[in-house]
Formats: sequence, C-alpha cells, structure tokens
Amino acid sequence: MIKHDVVIVGSGLAGMRAALEVCEGLDVAILSKVYPTRSHSGAAQGGIAASLGNSESDSWEEHLYDTVKGGDFLNDQDAVEEFVKAAPRVIYELEHYGCVFSRTPDGKIAQRSFGGHSKPRACFSADRTGHAILHALHEQLLKRSKSIKIYSEWYMHSLVLDGDRCNGIVVSDIRTGAVEVMQAKAVIFATGGYGRVFNITSNAFASTADGVMAAFRAGIPLEDAEFVQYHPSGLYRQGILFSEAARSEGGYLLNGEGERFMDKYAPSRMELAPRDIVARAEQSEMDAGRGVDGKDIIHLDLRHLGEARIMERLPQIRQLGIDFIGVDCVKDPLPIQPTAHYSMGGIPTDKFGQVITDAEGTHVKGFFAAGECACVSVHGANRLGTNSLLEAVVFGERAGKSAFEYAMKVDHAPVNESHEKTKVLEQFEGVFQQNGDESYNDIRNQMKKVMTENCGVFREEKQLKTCIETIEKLQEKFKNGKITDKGKLFNTEIYEILELENMLAMAEIIAKGALDRKESRGGHSRTDYPKRDDENFLKHSLAYKTDDGIEIKYKPVVITKHQPAERTY
Amino acid sequence: MIITFKIKRYNPEKQGEAYFEDFKLDVQEDLTLLDCMNEIKWTLDGSLTYRMSCRSAICGSCAVKANGHATLACQRQATHLVKGDTIVLEPLGNMKPIKDLAVDFEPFWEKINKVSPYLQPKQKAPEKERVQSPEQFSLIDDSSTCIMCGSCHSDCNVLEVDEDFLGPAALAKAQRFVQDSRDGKTLERVKNLSKPGGIWDCTHCGECVERCPKPARPFDRIKEIMTVALEQGVTNNNGARHALSFTKSVKSSGRLNENIIPVESVGFFNFRGLFDLLPVGLRMLFKGKNPPVFHKSIDEVEDVKRIYMELDE
Amino acid sequence: MKFALFTGCVAKGATRELMLSTIKSAEGLGIEFIEMKSAACCGAGVVSEKNPLLADALNARSIAIAEEQDLDLVTICSTCQGILKKTESHVDSDPSYKKKVNNVLEEGGHHYAGGKIKIQHFANVLGTEEGLKLLRDKVKRPLTGLKTAAFYGCYVLRPSGLSLYEDPDNPTGMEEIFEILGATPVYYDSRTKCCGFPIIMMNKNASHDMAGNALIDAIDSGADCVVTGCPLCHLSLDAYQPEIDRMNKKGCSIPILHLPQLVALALGYSPQELGMDKHIISTARLDKILA
Repeated sequence: MIKHDVVIVGSGLAGMRAALEVCEGLDVAILSKVYPTRSHSGAAQGGIAASLGNSESDSWEEHLYDTVKGGDFLNDQDAVEEFVKAAPRVIYELEHYGCVFSRTPDGKIAQRSFGGHSKPRACFSADRTGHAILHALHEQLLKRSKSIKIYSEWYMHSLVLDGDRCNGIVVSDIRTGAVEVMQAKAVIFATGGYGRVFNITSNAFASTADGVMAAFRAGIPLEDAEFVQYHPSGLYRQGILFSEAARSEGGYLLNGEGERFMDKYAPSRMELAPRDIVARAEQSEMDAGRGVDGKDIIHLDLRHLGEARIMERLPQIRQLGIDFIGVDCVKDPLPIQPTAHYSMGGIPTDKFGQVITDAEGTHVKGFFAAGECACVSVHGANRLGTNSLLEAVVFGERAGKSAFEYAMKVDHAPVNESHEKTKVLEQFEGVFQQNGDESYNDIRNQMKKVMTENCGVFREEKQLKTCIETIEKLQEKFKNGKITDKGKLFNTEIYEILELENMLAMAEIIAKGALDRKESRGGHSRTDYPKRDDENFLKHSLAYKTDDGIEIKYKPVVITKHQPAERTY
Repeated sequence: MIITFKIKRYNPEKQGEAYFEDFKLDVQEDLTLLDCMNEIKWTLDGSLTYRMSCRSAICGSCAVKANGHATLACQRQATHLVKGDTIVLEPLGNMKPIKDLAVDFEPFWEKINKVSPYLQPKQKAPEKERVQSPEQFSLIDDSSTCIMCGSCHSDCNVLEVDEDFLGPAALAKAQRFVQDSRDGKTLERVKNLSKPGGIWDCTHCGECVERCPKPARPFDRIKEIMTVALEQGVTNNNGARHALSFTKSVKSSGRLNENIIPVESVGFFNFRGLFDLLPVGLRMLFKGKNPPVFHKSIDEVEDVKRIYMELDE
Repeated sequence: MKFALFTGCVAKGATRELMLSTIKSAEGLGIEFIEMKSAACCGAGVVSEKNPLLADALNARSIAIAEEQDLDLVTICSTCQGILKKTESHVDSDPSYKKKVNNVLEEGGHHYAGGKIKIQHFANVLGTEEGLKLLRDKVKRPLTGLKTAAFYGCYVLRPSGLSLYEDPDNPTGMEEIFEILGATPVYYDSRTKCCGFPIIMMNKNASHDMAGNALIDAIDSGADCVVTGCPLCHLSLDAYQPEIDRMNKKGCSIPILHLPQLVALALGYSPQELGMDKHIISTARLDKILA
C-alpha cells in the first residue's frame, strides 16, 4: 500500500496550488491521469479576475456584486466575499512566482474588461492566461520536486470512505495497469469539470467527471449539477474555445443578416454581457433561422480591430482560426456557436475547501475539493469569465491549508487494502470479460448528442425526460460492450471505457437536476419555466445516490450583502 | 479522400519488434490528424495507443512523427499531410517508445529540470507586482508560449547523435528565465548553459523552429542566450571564442580569416585543441586547399569598420 | 541571365574550387556573374550570436549593393543564402527595425529598399524554366551512370517560410538538375539533415557523427558521390571524412562534389579544370564515368 500524508488528485491550477500549500511539513503526492502541464487549466485563455485597479479604480465590493449578479443570485455570498477579497493577494503571489503577465506601459499587470464585470479586472497573459499560470505553478512544483511526489498518468478510481472519514483513494498506474491503494490522512480532489458529456464542448478529452463521480459513488451528493455554462464563442462544430477576450478587445457578434443582435438581448453590455445571456441570445438567433447561411453559426468579427492589435492581444486565437478552420480573423469573421464550457456544479464544499455532505454542512473528514470539480458555491447559477482561474488558485490554496491543518492533527487510519483493491480489480475484469456487440463509441456519441440537443442551452420537460430515458438505455447498452485491448501496458482503451461509465452517470445527474429545477436561472434555461422563481428555487440542488436512483434534495443559499434582484444588462 | 495511415505499432507486452500496420479512412476536408487517429482507435482498432487531451494545440500531448517529421496531431489537417494517398505515423524521435505512438517523456523532463526552470528573483518580493515593462515582457513572450510538446526535441539533429545535449526545449525554457528581468541569476544561468551540452552544442539546423507548433522557435531563443552569455563575459569556451573571433575577423577585413579563426576558437594556449586541428590543417595544406596566408580585405572595407564602430563593436 | 554574385568567404578560401567551378559553369552556360567585391561576409549566423543588429546591417548592406546594381543576387553557399533571407525577413517585417538598419547604412551611402531584387541560390536559378532549358541545351557530356546523392544544407531548407524550394521537407530541385545533366539521382533520408559543420569546434564528436550518418546513408543508398550546395557542408563531409571514417569504422569513402562542379563536368570541363584534385577524398573513381 502506498502511504502519504496528503494526496491531491488532479494537477491543474487548483491541484498544484494546493500542493504548494501542503508541501512544507507534510509528505504530499499529487496524482493526475495526464502529465501536470497537460491539465485542462492550460486551455483557459482570457484572464484571471482581481480588483487590482491597475486600469481603472476598482474594489472587492464591486467584484462581489458583479459575481453575485452574474451568478443570478445563487452564489453563497459569504464564500464569494472571501474569494474576491483574496484575489489581489493571489495575483501578486502568482506574479512573484514568476508568472508571465501582459503589462501596462508603466510596468504593472495589465487588466482588461470582461463579460459581466463592471470594471476592467481581468489580468491576462496575451490570450493564454491559463497556460501562463499553469506553467508558473508547474515551475514551482519542479523547484520543490524533493518535497512533492508526482504520480503522472495514474488514474483515480474510488474514494476510500470509512463512515464520515476519508482515508485514501484507490488508483491504478495507466502505464502498467497495476492497481494500488493510496493511504492518506487527507485527500484533495481538483479533478476539473465534465463538459465531455456534451457534443459541442470546449473541454479536453480528459474532462470526464471521474472525480465528481468517485465522490458521488462514495455517498457524497453533487451540488448544482444542472448548471452548465455554455460559452458563446466555441468554434463551429468543433467546440474549441475562442476566448471571450476577443469580445473584450472589441469584437462583434453578428447573425446571418450581419446584425449586432446583442442590442436586442443586453443593450447596455452588448457583447460583454455574461456568458449565459450571450449564449442564449446566439441560440435564439440560430433557432429563429437567423444563423449564418441558415446554419447554427454566428459570426465573431474581429476585422475592425486591425492586425497589430490582434497580434498583440489575441495571437493564439488568430492561429486557432487558421489551424482549425482555415479562417484568418484579420481578414474574415470566425464561425462560432455555443459550446459546453464550464461546470458550475460539483462536489459541495464549505468556503475552506472542506467537503460537506448535506444541507447542514456536515464535514466529510479528511476530504477536500477545489477548482471546477467543487461547488462552494462562488459562481452560483452562472460563472463570470476570469473567475474560474481565480477560483482554482484561491480555493486550491484554501483546500490545501485546510488539508494541512487537518493532517497535522491526525494519524493515518487503517484501510482494508485487499477489499478496496478487489473492487477495482473486479471492475477491470468485468470490462475485459464483456463480450457483447455494442460499440462504446456509438454509446458515447449518442450520449453527447442527446445531452446537447435535449439538455443544452434551452431545456424543456419532455425533452429532459427523453434525455434521461435515453441515458438509462445507453447505460444498459454499456453493459453489453466489448473491448479490443486486453493488455496491461498503457491500455488507454480501458480508461476511456471507465470514463464513459462516469460520463453516463454524470449526464443522468445533470438531466435529472435540470428536470427538477422548474425555473430559469443563470446557465439553466427552461422554455417551459422561463422565469426565475426565487420563492421556490432560490436554493442549491444536492443530487444523492440512492437505491432508487438519483434523489434531489436542496440546500439554502447564503445571502449576506445583496438581496436577489432582477438581472438585466 | 481515402487515406491510408501507415502506423508504427509496438507492444513489448506482445512482441519485441515494431512493425507497420495500415488503416484506411475516408477523410473529409476538415478532419485533423488527431481526429483521424481517434476514428481509427474508436472504430477500427481500440488498441492503438497514443496520448491526447485538449485537441486545441495547448496541452502538448499529441505530438507524433507524421511522414518523418514531428508535428502536433491536433493542429494539422490530415488532407494537408497526405503524400500520395498515405500518411506515415511514428512515435516522436529521440525518445524511447513505450507502446505504439506513446513515448517515454522522463528524460525530456529531466533535461528541463537541469536548467533550473523557475524564477530565482533578484530581491525579496514587493507587496504588489514586480514592475516589468512591455518591452521586457516581449523578451520572454515567445518562449512562454512553449507547450512542452516535445516536437523540437524529437527532430533535433544533435540529440540524435549526442544524448548529453540539453536540447531545444530545455534551452528555450532556459531563455524564459535568462531574459526575465525579474530573475537575479542571469550570470549563473549563462555560465551553466555555456558548458558542454549547452547552447554552444546547437548545430543551427533549424529543425526545432520548423517543428514547433507555437511561436516558441527554440533556435532563436538559443541565439538570444548566446548573446547574453557573450555580454556577460562568459567566453572561456570554444563556442564563445569562435563567435568573438569570427566577429573580429569580419571587422578587420570584411570576411572570414579561415586561418586565424580555428586557432582563436580553441584558444591560443589550448595545446590539446590546437593539436587536434593539425591533421585536417596539414591535410588541407598538402592538397593546396588551405586559405591564403595573405588575407585580402573586401573592397570598401572601411564602410564595414564604420558600421562596427557605430554599433559599438 | 545576369546576376550579382555573392561568393561568400569560404568559396574563396578553403574551398576555392567552388569559386573556380562556379566561374567555369557560368562560362559554359552563358550566365554573367558580376562578383560583389564590396559585400561583407554574411556572418554565417555566428556574428548574430554576438550582435544581431550588426549582422542584419552587414547583410542589408550587401542586399542594397545588389539593389543598386539592379541585379538579382545569387549565392553559391546554402549558409549565405539562408542568412541573407533571414535578414531580408527581419528587416522587411518590422518598419521601425528597417529604419534603424538604414540609419546605420546611411553614412556609407547605402540604403536597403527591400522587395526590389530576388535572393537565390545558384541551384534555384538553374531550377527555373530558363535555367533548366540552358542546362538541356548546353550539356555536352551527359553524366550517364553517375549515381548522385544531393546534400542540400540546412539553411536553404529551414525555416521553410524562407526556403525557395516548393517542399523543403522533400525537395527535388537538385535532383531535377542531376537528371538533366544525365546523372541518376539517389534519394535518401539524410539529404535534408545537418552536416554538423557549425559545431565542429564545439562538439567534434557530434559533428562528425552527424556527417558520418549522412555519408553512410548516401553510400548505403548506392551513391557514387554526394553533391553539396554549401562549402561548409563540403568541408564537413570531405575535409573531415578521414576523421569521420575513423569514428564510425566503416572503411568506406565517397567523393564530395560542389554543385557547380557537377554542372561544369556535364558541360565538358575536366576534373582538373574544376579543382577536383584539391579535394581531400579523391574523385578519381569518378573518372571512368566521366571518360
């Protein structure tokens, strides 16, 4: 059995930041199914928010209000307050680590406007901010390579939970297939989101709900799973992200008639309205037949910005357009559509990164979560751009701190190694032995299709019910698949199959949450319940695993400074 | 169009030798090479093994050799890569294959580690951000785009014959700190990078720049480190002496003095080095190939001297 | 066809036979070369290690000299070709840098305009329709049976954006010329790789290893000789061949020719007239093919 004091699953921004917090004084391991610099945090482009006031005077109070309004008042405001207060310190700390930031003429960290923010507070590194921060943290990890052990290309299967206490995880080495139990005093999950359940997504192939499902299977509920953010500017048909920064720098959104249609939906903010509003606007235009060439295409027009500005502020975006769809945004508009981008929901935690298991906030001892896989909730029903990179670093630090304090006080608890190992070995064997005739690829494609069509930007009761039925049928088909690669050496096929199983389960939870939430709020939009219903639904959903399937309970929202008001831009 | 993918398979669990296997796909206009690899894996042979994640040219997982040259699979359109009707896929070069197209990246990360790839600040951090001008940012902008995909490392001509060479990725990463105005260890860094296996072992072949999927252009970064090393006075090595001697020669006559430069490069008192030059020198003398002892200048050499003076050389 | 000839330094020094054979092949083809006697060394990418602006200024000056004569510039060295193209690209792509460079040149009476003349390697000139026709018309002694392996030299191929070859990863320009001269081109992987010359003083073993790999590849592919477009490659592959041979212990040798020598041979000149007796590796074995 492998033994560490603290084990962190996921090596993106949240995971690496947590590792830096824990490594002085404790034996810490960080585990990821991809090498740390391959983590999806690196794909974030636009910026990281903080009220530094380098461009225009700003305050944490304004950042708080923008975030809460952006979240359609579902955010837990006490957590948001800590979050926005910590932001400036966190940015300076990243810069001190050596993170490369774009600068103002007088050498300070440059900041730009971003959707839903009333002041320009997005600190950025050209249009590769996530990449810049990811590498800065990775460099710090390398600097402390003697104190932090990296398990690269290891997969986390399950959580070892004994009553209300977490004692470790069960993992396997992707390269050899060897299954191991990792005993730990504290476990931190920083496993990211699950956009891959959808057809058109900005997410990497690795974003497959493994962390959240391990928690769910261990009896921990998932909070606000129905809140999925559709980013307005995903590359047509491919879903690849074109940063919101393109709009911050002044890009226009045009429909098939060449109109800047946002004036109908958010006249004061136009293209810089929050993402859910812009995505719905785009979807409405496309559904009404006003997409470009009548297709599901909207144009992102950057031509008027000029080559110099594009090359200075948006060089990567220009290259993405050229490489992936043969369009040079200096000369032509980019074809985009809404793409599933961010999972507001996830493993419920308190504002210290400690995982909780019910509406009362009962702790799961020794289990912590941070980043996109967690739901604190700082984003509420819709996340503002640049708040996710911030969330990962702030809560990576906080979860790390909480885990550190906890692990300093306790001893390792015994773990039944063979029992835990056997469950996973049986799961592997089960897949290897299956000799059915269903294609896993077809199952995955059907899941993605039904989720995008029936549980996408606009949702409705009958469609959601069909969605759930379809997913359940696919879960049955899943039991009748057949694997090609039965070897142990670097078997990527079996891990894709395990990921598919997690995604099917997650898809069902998202659809069920969407069905039960009979209102529209933030990223969750019901055509049959188009209004926000504070009276009945100003609450977080908690999806539990029960013997009768998924049960949805609810948890109150913490409201401190801002009473829910009408959300217009 | 129907494309035949000739893929190098290797599974030491099954058999010792690698072999090529053909897969045919009907490829549409805008499918990337990675899309094709996925299609093959998901519909024809699930055991095909390779790494991939973001599919948007930022994570660096999916670099492979296509038609003999390293490339990022997700960034290239398959129809642009076809030769005849075939695309040959092999694992990255200069790295040991684990299985099929997946290679062992450990030695790559070890080389990155060797260049102390983290900021070593000049002074204690201020309360807010350290000041860095946009001009200073632009010095490290290019190297900061590196996604560590390994394409440059794969096709480096020197690494192919000398595994002690740090390689373009590690050296480009080193430049990210050598020219970071916030870093306080410039001299120490360039001293280390000027040792054998460092910057002066780069053969200028340009493969790394050619294969890099981002604007990192490792060779250009290596040259920047060379310039800093020379500015810092780290000149006690053949590469630095060569650059200084060459530059001096062009100043004095507008052209290379091929008799003097080899001697100045190894160092006047480097008897071993000078001795090593003897065979080829004598050989050339014997054949009448040696450059004339009386070294002629170009016409208008004064203009060249003037340019040198104007640029403080 | 009239061109400004940028000779480069080594063609008039350690590989004088390159200059000699260039003049002879131009004579035989009726191409007029005006030698650029006031052009400075291109810096070979080494001067730019010391001072990038200096290297660009010197090269912009050379290009300006050709502009002033209203003549396209021709190089006979892959390194010169690549370096001049790099300067052209640096200066043309940044108007403020161009101004800076021209400020340096001003006092000497030169001004770099950019975009006025072409910078080509001799192989590219021969590879034009006009060049190929000239070759076809003037070949007197077809090099029938001569199995010829090209070695391009890194700088004419990479970076590919500056290369004049259509497909720098798979160029065919030199092989097309070989065919017209009656020779049989031999294709082999190493023809686009590096000869190692730039690190001959810094890492001798690696340098010889790279050159050795290329030579063995050419020999194994059945070549009678290797033809280079760069005198530095020639030095690495020819002058150092005894060291290379000692390293890889394969006990084989192969003569190395400069492209203009191959061309001039086909035009009827003798090996002696082209300085082939100066090579370190004897070209005697080719005599029977040339007879």
